[in-house]
Amino acid sequence: MATQAHSLSYAGCNFLRQRLVLSTLSGRPVKIRKIRARDDNPGLRDFEASFIRLLDKITNGSRIEINQTGTTLYYQPGLLYGGSVEHECNVLRSIGYYLESLLCLAPFMKHPLRIILRGVTNDQVDPSVDVLKATALPLLKQFGIDGESFELKVVRRGMPPGGGGEVLFSCPVRKVLKPVQLTDPGKIKRIRGIAYSVRVSPQMANRIVDSARNILNKFIPDIYIYTDHMKGVSSGKSPGFGLSLVAETTNGTFLSAELASNPQGQGAAVLPEDLGRNCAKLLLEEIYRGGCVDSTNQSLALLLMTLGQQDVSKVLLGPLSPYTIEFLRHLKSFFQIMFKIETKSCGEELKGGDKVLMTCVGIGFSNLSKTLK
Amino acid sequence: METKDQKKHRKKNSGPKAEKKKKRHLQDLQLGDEEDARKRNPKAFAVQSAVRMARSFHRTQDLKTKKHHIPVVDRTPLEPPPIVVVVMGPPKVGKSTLIQCLIRNFTRQKLTEIRGPVTIVSGKKRRLTIIECGCDINMMIDLAKVADLVLMLIDASFGFEMETFEFLNICQVHGFPKIMGVLTHLDSFKYNKQLKKTKKRLKHRFWTEVYPGAKLFYLSGMVHGEYQNQEIHNLGRFITVMKFRPLTWQTSHPYILADRMEDLTNPEDIRTNIKCDRKVSLYGYLRGAHLKNKSQIHMPGVGDFAVSDVSFLPDPCALPEQQKKRCLNEKEKLVYAPLSGVGGVLYDKDAVYVDLGGSHGFQQSDEVRPTHELVQSLISTHSTIDAKMASSRVTLFSDSKPLGSEDIDNQGQWMPKEEKQMDLKTGRVRRKAIFGDEEDESGDSDDEGDEEMSEGDRLDDSSSDDGTEEEADAEMPGALYAPGRRVKRQRLEGLEEDLEVDLPAFADSDDDLERSSAGEGEAEEASESSEGEDSPAGERDISESKVVGDSSKAGLVQTNGLSNSLNLEKATLTTLDSGHCTAEEAFASEDETEESSCLSTEDEDSENEEVIRKKFPESFQVAGGQRLGSENLTDETSDVEDLLKEEEDYKEENNYSTETSGALKWKEDLSRKAAEAFLRQQQATPNLRKLIYGTVTEDNEEEDGDTREELGGLFRVSQPSRECKHKLDSLDCSRFHVEVPHDWDLEEVMNSIRDCFVTGKWEEEKDAAKILAEDEELYGDFEDLETGDVHKGKPGADTQIEDAEEVKEEIDPSAEESAKKKHLDKKRKLKEMFDAEYDEGESTYFDDLKGELHKQAQLNRAEFEDQDDEARVQYEGFRPGMYVRIEIENVPCEFVLNFDPHYPIILGGLGNSEGNVGYVQMRLKKHRWYKKILKSRDPIIFSVGWRRFQTIPLYYIEDHNGRQRLLKYTPQHMHCGATFWGPITPQGTGFLAVQSVSDIMPDFRIAATGVVLDLDKSIKIVKKLKLTGFPYKIFKNTSFIKGMFNSALEVAKFEGAVIRTVSGIRGQIKKALRAPEGAFRASFEDKLLMSDIVFMRTWYPVSIPAFYNPVTSLLKPVGEKDTWSGMRTTGQLRLAHGIKLKPNKDSLYKPIVRQKKHFNSLHIPKALQKALPFKNKPKTQAKAGKMPKDRLRPAVIREPHERKILALLDALSTVHSQKMKKAKEQRHLHNKEHFKVKQKEEEEKLKRQKDLRKKLFRIQGQKERRNQKSSLKGPEEPSK
Repeated sequence: MATQAHSLSYAGCNFLRQRLVLSTLSGRPVKIRKIRARDDNPGLRDFEASFIRLLDKITNGSRIEINQTGTTLYYQPGLLYGGSVEHECNVLRSIGYYLESLLCLAPFMKHPLRIILRGVTNDQVDPSVDVLKATALPLLKQFGIDGESFELKVVRRGMPPGGGGEVLFSCPVRKVLKPVQLTDPGKIKRIRGIAYSVRVSPQMANRIVDSARNILNKFIPDIYIYTDHMKGVSSGKSPGFGLSLVAETTNGTFLSAELASNPQGQGAAVLPEDLGRNCAKLLLEEIYRGGCVDSTNQSLALLLMTLGQQDVSKVLLGPLSPYTIEFLRHLKSFFQIMFKIETKSCGEELKGGDKVLMTCVGIGFSNLSKTLK
Repeated sequence: METKDQKKHRKKNSGPKAEKKKKRHLQDLQLGDEEDARKRNPKAFAVQSAVRMARSFHRTQDLKTKKHHIPVVDRTPLEPPPIVVVVMGPPKVGKSTLIQCLIRNFTRQKLTEIRGPVTIVSGKKRRLTIIECGCDINMMIDLAKVADLVLMLIDASFGFEMETFEFLNICQVHGFPKIMGVLTHLDSFKYNKQLKKTKKRLKHRFWTEVYPGAKLFYLSGMVHGEYQNQEIHNLGRFITVMKFRPLTWQTSHPYILADRMEDLTNPEDIRTNIKCDRKVSLYGYLRGAHLKNKSQIHMPGVGDFAVSDVSFLPDPCALPEQQKKRCLNEKEKLVYAPLSGVGGVLYDKDAVYVDLGGSHGFQQSDEVRPTHELVQSLISTHSTIDAKMASSRVTLFSDSKPLGSEDIDNQGQWMPKEEKQMDLKTGRVRRKAIFGDEEDESGDSDDEGDEEMSEGDRLDDSSSDDGTEEEADAEMPGALYAPGRRVKRQRLEGLEEDLEVDLPAFADSDDDLERSSAGEGEAEEASESSEGEDSPAGERDISESKVVGDSSKAGLVQTNGLSNSLNLEKATLTTLDSGHCTAEEAFASEDETEESSCLSTEDEDSENEEVIRKKFPESFQVAGGQRLGSENLTDETSDVEDLLKEEEDYKEENNYSTETSGALKWKEDLSRKAAEAFLRQQQATPNLRKLIYGTVTEDNEEEDGDTREELGGLFRVSQPSRECKHKLDSLDCSRFHVEVPHDWDLEEVMNSIRDCFVTGKWEEEKDAAKILAEDEELYGDFEDLETGDVHKGKPGADTQIEDAEEVKEEIDPSAEESAKKKHLDKKRKLKEMFDAEYDEGESTYFDDLKGELHKQAQLNRAEFEDQDDEARVQYEGFRPGMYVRIEIENVPCEFVLNFDPHYPIILGGLGNSEGNVGYVQMRLKKHRWYKKILKSRDPIIFSVGWRRFQTIPLYYIEDHNGRQRLLKYTPQHMHCGATFWGPITPQGTGFLAVQSVSDIMPDFRIAATGVVLDLDKSIKIVKKLKLTGFPYKIFKNTSFIKGMFNSALEVAKFEGAVIRTVSGIRGQIKKALRAPEGAFRASFEDKLLMSDIVFMRTWYPVSIPAFYNPVTSLLKPVGEKDTWSGMRTTGQLRLAHGIKLKPNKDSLYKPIVRQKKHFNSLHIPKALQKALPFKNKPKTQAKAGKMPKDRLRPAVIREPHERKILALLDALSTVHSQKMKKAKEQRHLHNKEHFKVKQKEEEEKLKRQKDLRKKLFRIQGQKERRNQKSSLKGPEEPSK
């Protein structure tokens, strides 16, 4: 068959998720060699193995081959199946790591996905569940993925290193996506946030809120930061606290920033005031970058534009993150799609840094898994 | 007399005249017709019944909504591809004649032999590709998938044939293209009535198949072997004005109906192995959707391929330029049919073919060989490269002696050979091209180039042809200046190569340059590294120049060959860019990693981090930094100047050549030049796009990668690999960290995002305050019409201003004008608002949706409109309407060897994962007209999507609980499911099935039709399996069953399962028994009998054979293309081998023999008998039946004497009885009389008594009365 001919080959474990997700969507097999080949501890890490297992759970007929040392991975994708799934995420990475990929795949399943993920909900590396809930979900809604069953719920919070959090994510299935024209981000009308604390004094959250408000109040008065203190079973296994902030604009753009405390036993203790202040500044940075999609979701937006019908989609982004740039390259190799990239300087207006206008024609993707009745 | 005979004039009471008169009369009476009646008598036309009104309203609304279709985005390209007109019909019906006539009608040219598709310009905005379709079912299926319009030829003298219906059914399945029937052979009818009847009959049958009212065209007869001109003209008109609706499959997939095929395989490979896989290029108009390079395609009849290259070519049959004329002039009536040998000049990507046989030389003989020597030699390219080399001749000047290979050999010393030269100023190694002989290396590309070169030269030779103008342009400078400036040009070519090598890196290196200018320390570092990397860079240069040497040595490829415009432009570019050559090379090693390293996460390497941090802000400064490098590298100015000079020279040459080649030449390819300019600009500016995707053209990128590997292979340093490793295995995280946080405490930093908030400043048109003010202005003054009051808005400033204006008016007329304009504007705005309020009110959901899609369509059109095709193709792929050339590798050699132009070659683009295989489930129905039913596991040929393939389906039916139960055969008149292993095709795609594509069956060939429902990688079809067992021990309700399973483990699997006996007693499996193996305990609702059979109904999953065999009918030899046969069914095999099926003995039918049953009598215990009531007691007393013999008395036989006595006694007794009877009667009579008398007496007696009583009562009454009277007198009476 021709299937062998159009397989793609990569080296190194970086961008593993992108490659596997795009492979699943495009149906092209992918081979990844030299995964930490020169490392003292070669091969796939546990969290990557967990991710691959998750992919195996939500697909049907995938073929995964890993060599003895774990340095080579061959992935031949099956069809996305979905349904009710539970997955134990590895605590080395937070649930966000897994959820980001699920957000890309969930609309194209055979059965609506309803998945319970267990592990670390908030950490310092990956976008947390709160941020994804506040930014990625509205973004998906722009593409026509909407409905009652579209939700992301934090049932329990778990901080590293222990974890113990639980998240419920359910997403309806779509056959085709709508093209979008997101060229005007609008103006920020309100800022919301969640200051959470688990297994520490509930006062921590209040202290964070105060310090964050101090900074943001200079820009806009409409700020409300919820404090979320979880107790008992729903507080996970490790102590910690953090803050995630979301700025909403008049046109429905959500920009986010977040910070979490150092995990127990790693690094110096962080003062909640500092954390609040720094997080507020991070939000300002994000606003400075601007765009209609915040920096963590750039690749998600671009993917959904690519998978649209054969129409022109546009989106205005802030500076492209390295992850997004690599994602664009991957999009090109998997879907033969190139984006028209125009830089838009802001000029006189006081609207932060330069923006990038990304334009593309969708590939006319249709959900091949969905059953016709 | 006469007057009496005449009829009197009668006034007309009906008819148009009467109507008219009546009307006039009414008008005279001031009474209008109906319309006026409405006015005159409104009551009569008022609503009679509200209910009826509502009903009629509903009905009209219903009808209106019924007409709605789901709106779709209009994606038709501005310049659409030619419309595919398939002329279909059974043999000898007049297809070829019709095509010929149509072509003649549109183009005034006559084609004697038509092979393959013919493209013609039929109007100002329409082109047609006409193709003939025979009755090979392969061809019918393929063409139905690409057809826009089907001309269905029907022999009226014969009537409909099976092929027609088959084709109709195929069309129905694969999206229904427009179908127009054409009746031919109408001149064979002698009687007009018969003709009329036939026409009517055929028309109605046609309507039932297509749709009522479908167009059926009549071609009445032939004149000189052709159809009548007028009729053909009319048919042509119909075709040109026809509208088409988009078909789902066609609009969602790109496809090409190839009209030309070239074999590009290396002749040497063919010589060594004639069966080697070929590389072919196919040409045709792209239709349907956008085609992406490197995508997957399917060629029906051949197989799946990956496109190795796509390029678009100038349109060979272009629509006329826009003009206001009504019709086309003769020059614009183009025809293009390369397979039929029509089309004159053929443009390839890198060659031009001139077919001098053309349309004129065509009529001379059947098989036209171009007489011209040049073209002849072009066509026969089956010689090897060496032979060609030897025979090729090159003419540099029009009147010079042609140069052969021996000349080139003599000029061996001309061949460039690189020599390293150290530039003292910069310390850079330069390569100088020195001519020597190096013959040992010759790659494929060289060969090809050489080939093209020789062709090109020959073309040059015959440059009287106008077709090569474009090439001449590019060629001339090389040709003219070849001897004199050889060295310099070599240099240029070297640079050209250089460019191809370095282009993607260039952007990054530029950035690097900027960086070096920005930071001193870094610049130092850079220079350090440049020194460090010097030697490898040099080495690379050497090898590059080696490449140059190779290419130029082989035969002046670039100088004389058809170096296309791009090359030229590249060369110029390089000369411009080579200013930074040293720096560029110094960073060479970094370049390799740069592209990717800029993406690697930053935390790994501090240096790396810095690079990235710099990169982002800088990458936005699009054009600014481009020249920075040259400023920086002042020490290299001499070098740069040198090169620039060269470039100028080169440009001059270019100009010169343009001038020489013709005065108007500059006009010809303005757009191309513009494109070049754009490209140059694109390549020169380091922008984000380059950062992400590398250079503009993909090829360069690839070449770059290759050469780099090739060149730098020996000298790879370990450092980049280390960096590489860092990048490869770094943290996979989507977060975009802030490297240099702003200081948000500073006022100006804070101000930089002020306007991002609602509290900041708004844009002009969005500022609420401003809008409010405008509204004020608009609504400020108004007059209440009802009351006549005039409201004044702002009496203050505005009026003052107006007053002022009034004052000014007198002075300044322009001010007045502006005021007028203002007023008009105001009015317009008001009008718009009014419209918005009242017109939009009625907009429905449907209208909104339509508007939205319309907007999207406009955006789609507008987005890339202003870009040139080169760039556009990169973004949206090749758009439909383009004439493209597709290169495909690894095509089976039979495709080329057995090429038959009559068969359509279709390249159907495949979507993502449509090249994969899996299980496909569909809803299938056996065709009504197919005589047999289909059997599961019999191989059958499906046509789904673009493909035709043989596979083994399983048929199933879905039970109510969703279980998919296997069927052995398809139902007769019902839908069923079918699943097969095969290529994944989107849901909703129609399909059809045929049992065989070879011409064996005389009947209707389409076996089944249906639609794809689901795709999966696993299936759940089950078949019923009954496990049987027998009781071997029976307790009350419990029995031990054996024979159902083989082990206790099996039983354990089925614990709790429901079982049943044949007689209907239900039960459940309880637990396995120890012995015998596989036996179990089961409980039932009743006691079993030993004779009962126990069974359990289970469902066993069936596996589908993974058999997928594409129909490769195009690979069959010419003339046998309709004989493809795949796997045979078991039935066919059995028939072929004469094997008789040995039936299972148990399955045979036998006569049923029934045994007579005997039943024992009922026995009731004595105790019970006693207790029973008498009614139910068994009656033991025998009935008084016959006396037993022993008890019978013996018969008495009388003597004659005794008999006499008996007779006498009899007689006497008779007499006696008679007497007695008489006496009885008499007595009875007597008694009767006596009774009567007695009754009379009695009556008299009663009467007497009555009278007596009467008398008595009277006396008694009188007495009583008397007594009463006396009592009235007083009491003395009694005393008296």
